[in-house]
Amino acid sequence: MKIQLNNIGKKYEGRENFTIRNIDLEIDDKDFCVILGPSGCGKSTLLRMIAGLTSITEGDLFFGGKRMNSVEPKDRDIAMVFQSYALYPHMTVYENMAFSLKMRKERKSVIHERVLEAAELLQITEYLYSKPSEISGGQRQRVALGRAIVRKADVFLMDEPLSNLDAKLREHMRVELVRLHQSLETTSIYVTHDQTEAMTMATKIVLLDQGKIQQVGSPTLFYEKPANLFVAGFIGSPTMNIFRGKIKHGHFLSSEEDFVIEPKAKDRELLKPFEGKKVAMGIRSERFIAGKADKNAINVKVDVIEMLGKEQLLYCQFPNGKECVISEPGYFEYAVNEEHNFHLDIEGLHFFDEETTERIN
Amino acid sequence: MIKQKKKGLYLSDRPPLTPLKTILLAISYILLFAYVFVILWPLAQIVLSSFNGSQSQYIRIGGTYQFSFKHFKFLFEEKPFLKWVINTIVIAVATALLTLLFVSFTGYAYSRYRFKGRKASLMAIMLIQTIPTFVGIAAFYTLHSIISAAIPGFSRQMFLVLIYAGGGIASNTFILKGYIDSISTELDDAARIDGCGNFQVYRLIIMPIVRPMLAIIALWSFIGPFLDYMLPSIILGDPEQYTLATGLYTLINDSRNMHQPAFAAGGLLTALPIVILFIALQKQLVSGLASGAVKG
Ligand SMILES: Nc1ncnc2c1ncn2[C@@H]1O[C@H](COP(=O)(O)OP(=O)(O)OP(=O)(O)O)[C@@H](O)[C@H]1O
Ligand SMILES: [Mg+2]
Repeated sequence: MKIQLNNIGKKYEGRENFTIRNIDLEIDDKDFCVILGPSGCGKSTLLRMIAGLTSITEGDLFFGGKRMNSVEPKDRDIAMVFQSYALYPHMTVYENMAFSLKMRKERKSVIHERVLEAAELLQITEYLYSKPSEISGGQRQRVALGRAIVRKADVFLMDEPLSNLDAKLREHMRVELVRLHQSLETTSIYVTHDQTEAMTMATKIVLLDQGKIQQVGSPTLFYEKPANLFVAGFIGSPTMNIFRGKIKHGHFLSSEEDFVIEPKAKDRELLKPFEGKKVAMGIRSERFIAGKADKNAINVKVDVIEMLGKEQLLYCQFPNGKECVISEPGYFEYAVNEEHNFHLDIEGLHFFDEETTERIN
Repeated sequence: MIKQKKKGLYLSDRPPLTPLKTILLAISYILLFAYVFVILWPLAQIVLSSFNGSQSQYIRIGGTYQFSFKHFKFLFEEKPFLKWVINTIVIAVATALLTLLFVSFTGYAYSRYRFKGRKASLMAIMLIQTIPTFVGIAAFYTLHSIISAAIPGFSRQMFLVLIYAGGGIASNTFILKGYIDSISTELDDAARIDGCGNFQVYRLIIMPIVRPMLAIIALWSFIGPFLDYMLPSIILGDPEQYTLATGLYTLINDSRNMHQPAFAAGGLLTALPIVILFIALQKQLVSGLASGAVKG
């Protein structure tokens, strides 16, 4: 089902300002759309509006061309997984999963079949007759998923379903969820504040901040062309290095004037209007190339080394105290307090207007 | 050998007792036993006297003891005791049902919905609670005449039920609201998405979870009419309509009708329905169902 949000806004009763506003968004059929953003930016609010649990203050919501603003949640053909799982404590796992079908007056045999099918898929067959209080957090999370998938709803909503799991299980469930999404062939909307989850699972990311959409697009687009400084800082681990400076004679001059970067021809064209203006330059840690060069070179002191095996993160300092993170293959030999030469890969440079924080190239 | 070992090992979780602590412990035991005695002794006397055929008007301690059901017989044959029991149970059941029904709605509404006057009305209910029921007698009379003018079949017993239930609804709304507040609203949301309307959310999800609380509320509203002798004696005119407490009270409130052993016997019988209800509700009273609803 295609979901369309037209200029949607929400203002809570008793609040002075809109929590989110002017949200325009199109989610295609079978998309796995991840709504990403820092805590408190209104992700849950947006999801709850799509679910119909919170009223829409302004704008229109369409499901497959049909306006849904005033349709009750039970009539929207959606399934939802809550952050706290929200399992019914007085029902067994089986009853929890069967509940929505029972409410829709499905035949007993159909219910049984679907519950068993989902239980098998999620490997919770053993616990079908336990109460939620008698199973572990990870199992509860599966039950919550199971409860949502038995419905075979058109739209699958998830609000930070993995945030209560330990790192290992979370990693495992990420893959499971994507698989599940593909096998169910539904439209999924997934809320998280974890950029790794967004990058690994989404076909489409929506990054929210301060009640506004900062960027919409594929994970690759987010990584390679962040739309503004906020996106650049939010996506990617380690965080992108940002250097402040200005454009002088078509070159980027850092604000302490300790290094000069000559952008590639295409970027220089785009940077022309910014001659003499303040500009921020971003570069991801893997775009530093080890070794001396006569252009775009820096000389830094290694401060801390984080060895990750296949690569190592070097937390470095410029002579004037400015910091940057550089990642190099794990087999290179570095030691703390050594000085090293690197040069910048000009294909991996991001330029942002300091004033508007918008992307330039 | 083994004995020695046992003696040498100190297995209690608490630190060993010093002599001073031993004395304090002994004193607290003595106090507790005294307390138990103070409570159990009169109870034992009631049980004994009610079966003592050699006592007539007054309960006397000591004297001869002759086991008989005389006083019970007196209650059933000379006094409309069975009527009182039935009256009381009808009133108690009606009160409990009415209270449960209303408290379910009010508790849920106050917990889950935001509406105009929510805070003010809650405060008002709380303040009205502090006025003793007795003060309302005059108001009750006026109310009764108004209602019975409008609804001809409105009996005084029904009116009593309304008064009991009214008081119960007010105080129990708070208790139930607090209890429902502690249930995550995400459960409501989940139920709504699963296909429940407002009423179904309460009936299928919230009510089963708050069942222990509802059982306690039911029990208390049920017990109320068993304990109160004053309101029925004022509102109900006819001794045939009396409840147990009021009826039994007539056995001890003046010297001509005085029959203390029968009063004791009646008291004993009064406890029966309450005990039965308590046993019936025992399973519901076990709480802790709500744990595990949301992440542990
Ligand atoms: N019922 C409500 N009434 C008033 N304000 C609310 C309500 N629910 C949320 N808000 C406000 O809306 C803002 C966004 O809340 P929301 O729950 O959508 O955040 P979120 O992005 O989901 O955060 P998190 O990642 O912590 O879950 C917050 O500032 C919050 O205070
Ligand atoms: Mg949230």
